[in-house]
Amino acid sequence: MGHSSLEGQYSHSSSLVDNVRFSQQAPIILGAKATSAKINLLPAQQEDPGHYVLLEQLFLSCLQTGDDKSALQCLELLSDRFGPSNERTSGLYGIYEEAVAKGHDGLEKCLQKYDSILSENPVNLPILKRRVAILRSMSKPVEAISSLVEIIKAIPTDAEAWCELADLYMTQGMAHQATFCLEESLLIAANAWNIHARLGEVLYICARSGDETSGQYLVRSIRCFCRSIELCDDYLRGFYGLVMATLPLLDGRQGDTGFKISAAQWENTVPAATISKLHIFAKRRLEHIIEQRSSNHQLWESCQGEIIAAKELLDSLRDTT
Amino acid sequence: MVSQGLEQTIVRDPALFYWILIPISIVMILTGILRHYATVLMNTPPKPPSTLAESRERLSILRGVNLRNNASAVLTKEAFEARKNYLVSAYQNGEFLKDPENRGQAPANPMTDPAGMEAMMGMMKGNMMMMIPQTLIMSWINAFFSGFVILKLPFPLTIRFKSMLQSGVMTRDLDVRWVSSLSWYFLNLFGLQSVFGFILGSDNAANHMSQQMASMNPAAGVNPFQPGQDPDKLYQSEAENLEVLEHFCILDGIEDRILHNIAPKYGYTF
Repeated sequence: MGHSSLEGQYSHSSSLVDNVRFSQQAPIILGAKATSAKINLLPAQQEDPGHYVLLEQLFLSCLQTGDDKSALQCLELLSDRFGPSNERTSGLYGIYEEAVAKGHDGLEKCLQKYDSILSENPVNLPILKRRVAILRSMSKPVEAISSLVEIIKAIPTDAEAWCELADLYMTQGMAHQATFCLEESLLIAANAWNIHARLGEVLYICARSGDETSGQYLVRSIRCFCRSIELCDDYLRGFYGLVMATLPLLDGRQGDTGFKISAAQWENTVPAATISKLHIFAKRRLEHIIEQRSSNHQLWESCQGEIIAAKELLDSLRDTT
Repeated sequence: MVSQGLEQTIVRDPALFYWILIPISIVMILTGILRHYATVLMNTPPKPPSTLAESRERLSILRGVNLRNNASAVLTKEAFEARKNYLVSAYQNGEFLKDPENRGQAPANPMTDPAGMEAMMGMMKGNMMMMIPQTLIMSWINAFFSGFVILKLPFPLTIRFKSMLQSGVMTRDLDVRWVSSLSWYFLNLFGLQSVFGFILGSDNAANHMSQQMASMNPAAGVNPFQPGQDPDKLYQSEAENLEVLEHFCILDGIEDRILHNIAPKYGYTF
């Protein structure tokens, strides 16, 4: 994928393989930190802000792979520099405490701690967000949603919070609210192709409801996937979604997909011929991407799951035809 | 103007060079560094909002701006109209204001408003950091070194440079190439930027970390309002901007765009 290679080798990605590899470098990175504490004569050779970003990513990767000791070391380096009262370090400290907390009681304790921090400074954004996350992991989605709504009321320009709210709504099956939230986050970051693709997926789910508007939802979903393809070259998720979303609108394929959509619902917006062309294009492109990435070892490792899923989709389509 | 071929010569004590030119340069560099660190020390970061309502008042204006900028990239007509109507009525009714009952009152005098006062103090501190050392050093140079001619430039210059290079020396016939001590001070004042850049790191190196600290809380740090500005007025004008907004969407016809622009790029034709 275009964006994953752009983020460089040091990033906290969603791929577990990358995270394991990154956290294995922890001793090297942390060791280098310890020896480089020589005297700086000229203040021009000051600290590089990138180091601290790197430390933060390393911290997250270490926690995810269970290396709590290195994570704590990263955290100490960060709080040495920025002070434990800094909002972002306190948020990271919260993550650490949640990670090592034992059982439900431990999480409850973290929650109380957050509440006491928030009573001092009610606009501590990282802690506010941690509070939502902890409520979510304690499986209290309703409380999580209501406190996230409070955050968004105060800080409506945070795309991350809108996306999280959309995700929470989706867990509750409230797809229409999720659509609204995703649109809101797209208003903040208009060119985020992954959010476009996510919106397409949510709209696709909306279309499954099977009432008279579902055709329109499906057309909107197709458009979102098209946009994500337009914004990002070879975006596998976008092509996958496009194949899925165009499938129910093809002639004679309705029965396979479980959609109940009559042609009258959508045919005045997009001609049927265009839909079938899009479907063919997406399918061919998907085949090409799979072929390309399976042969390249590095690409294959970074997005194994996606490629396997895409392969399965294409195989199932081939079986039915 | 000097007659051609004839060099003006002034017999100078070489001590002038060691005891005026070099001290002025060193003092200028040292005060520059000192001023830099004093600014860093006295720099107060912009105050983050202290309550959720305050943060709401500050950031809700950006929602309208975002809608105006990005609506065409995302929204369908219905979604757009719903958002527009909501934001316009909320802006007009002052729903986002910190204390709605104070609407329409004259804005607080920035002199009595503590928040405004703080912002003005910040500005004043910055200005003072520039002005005080400059006045001090200039009067020091005036008192000790005025009237000295300390340097001869190795290249000829036109007469217009006379006022720049020979301030403090009231001689009409002196060649422009001679530089007076006061002018050397001015040249240093404006010309040492690159030296400071070398010593202190690029211009904003010292401010860099403080900026990073601010960005650690990205959403809460910015304040779109100037001190003393009435948020309600900004909301009203933003509501007017939104009212005249027409809907169009780049998602319309994107299917054809994909087939005609993107597909050929990958080598497919339809």
